[in-house]
Amino acid sequence: MKTLRNLQGPALTLALLCGLWLIVIVGLLALKPSVFNLGTVTTILQFSTILALVGLGQGLVIMAGGAGIDLSVGGAVSLSAIVAMLCLKLGLPPVLLPVVCILAGATLGALNGWLVNGLALLPFIATLGTFFVYSGAALAVTGGAAQAGVPSWLLVWGRGVVMGIPLPFLTLAIPCFALAGLVLLSTAWGRWIYAMGFNERSARLVGIPVDRVRFILYALSGALAGAAGLVSIAWLGSGRPNIGQNLELESLTAAMLGGIAITGGRGGVGGVFAAVLLLVTLKTGLLQLNINTVWQVGIVGALLVFVLLADRLSQRWRS
Amino acid sequence: MNAVRQFGNGVFSMNGREWSLLVACLLAIVIFSVASPHYATSGNAATVLRNSVELLLIGLGMTLLLAMGGIDVSIGIVMGLAAIAIGRVLGADGNPALAIIVGPLVGALLGCVTAAVVVLGRVPAIVGTLGLLGVYRTAVFVLLGGQWLSGLPSSLTNLLATTALGVPVPALVIAVAYLAVWLALRRTPYGLHLLAIGNSEEKARLSGIPVIKVRFITFVISGVLTGIAAMFYVATYRNVEMTIGSTLALDAIAAVILGGTSILGGRCSLIGTVLGVLLLRILQNGLLLIGVPSLWQPVVTGVLIIGVLGFEAVSNRFPLAQLRRARA
Repeated sequence: MKTLRNLQGPALTLALLCGLWLIVIVGLLALKPSVFNLGTVTTILQFSTILALVGLGQGLVIMAGGAGIDLSVGGAVSLSAIVAMLCLKLGLPPVLLPVVCILAGATLGALNGWLVNGLALLPFIATLGTFFVYSGAALAVTGGAAQAGVPSWLLVWGRGVVMGIPLPFLTLAIPCFALAGLVLLSTAWGRWIYAMGFNERSARLVGIPVDRVRFILYALSGALAGAAGLVSIAWLGSGRPNIGQNLELESLTAAMLGGIAITGGRGGVGGVFAAVLLLVTLKTGLLQLNINTVWQVGIVGALLVFVLLADRLSQRWRS
Repeated sequence: MNAVRQFGNGVFSMNGREWSLLVACLLAIVIFSVASPHYATSGNAATVLRNSVELLLIGLGMTLLLAMGGIDVSIGIVMGLAAIAIGRVLGADGNPALAIIVGPLVGALLGCVTAAVVVLGRVPAIVGTLGLLGVYRTAVFVLLGGQWLSGLPSSLTNLLATTALGVPVPALVIAVAYLAVWLALRRTPYGLHLLAIGNSEEKARLSGIPVIKVRFITFVISGVLTGIAAMFYVATYRNVEMTIGSTLALDAIAAVILGGTSILGGRCSLIGTVLGVLLLRILQNGLLLIGVPSLWQPVVTGVLIIGVLGFEAVSNRFPLAQLRRARA
């Protein structure tokens, strides 16, 4: 108990998340012991990859403060997947598919960055607008139909499993998180992100290029959404115009659960990673228990509200 | 004080923004009339007006929320939940009086829930209402049990789809709601407090404005208006489907922003919202009639939001006066 009380910040978040995760797993085991085998672990990690990538971008944007938030992530995932598949249809060499997908996402993210930085729009309203533009465009361009024709070598990567761990998770999600963690903890860029999230005014005064960092973070969030779109293509074998549905809510919940303060300047990517695993375990568990998928969005939403309220309450208790 | 009051002080006073919206509405009507032979018919005009009823009521509430620096993205689904409550009551005994009470009541209740999370919990409105949106969506599915609520008795329709004193009842209710909101906004301390909070919550708090109370009340008002909107929805369609209200919040936000209410707070135009709603519905209806699939609607609405805000940002940076000075 004493050690728990001594924990602070990210370590406390991680400890709490692990506790919650254990509760979820034990609950599942009690209700349906047959659930847990290597196959389920693979499924969970497979589902986690997309949310992990998107949640990372979302977390970084929020951490940089300035009321930063990227509500368009779900739309960016769908649209970049669709754009890549349509380019393929128009005669793009298949080798370039991953590049185009991530580039498309980065472009969509850069547009957000320009709206927030260049035009000084409020992030929540700008990205709410682009969310409807991106997700709507993905649906409207395709008429809602999935786009087939993924090259087979991409499927090998998207569906490959090494020692129970899916290849996209191993080669994309883990390196991205490791890199982000490294940058945040031990480079000037990481310090800048925390500093501008904590107090933008003083960050500007000490000469941190706040606008440039923020623009790059929005573009990065888009690029990660594009990478998530790529994973969805490679895994599902088609570009689906609604693949990003509810990702804005889920990524926000993951970021908040992961201990990132909604006001910015506090948190880390390790927490986000743990929160993604927790969320996906919960969702997979509900699916295994044959609970209707409509409950998922409600539970994730309730979790988001709960986490935000708990964060406020704990702040009040401390002060 | 004057800076706050000078904006749209009269019930229907219009400034340049509102006049240009009116012109845009007329222009859209002319263009669509030329483009589609089905457009300029009295039946279609009635359809556009009919489709605007709920959005007008919800838009009034959203105007207050945005002017205060708040937002509610769950408002469409709140209307869905209120509609389900009304439908259940109507289906049970068909008594329209009870149904009329239930709608605003459920709206007010859900407004209280939203306010409790966002205002009392001090959570950013966008994130809090997004979480609640998820919860409410599940609630709609669970309450409907996977089926439409359909074949509701026509007693409510008979009551609300009639005319009183030669004016359709919806128009009367909207006029009353408009006047009530206008009075609250322009003729009571509440309105001043609301705009002050929109300008700067911190400064408002420091000047002794009961920030929490005003913000709480605003969410409840928005809920009540949404409940009234649900009433008209049920009266018109006599069924409630799963996807009810899924684009209403976006439409309401777009209409309010089109109308010139500033999300940075302190500026607010009710007549602008009314014109914004009409323009939005005219555009959506017209695009449908000239053969643009309805899937494009959220794209158009999203582009409108960003376009209007972007235009305002650019024109604020290069005001007309500055350009004139440069030219002289």
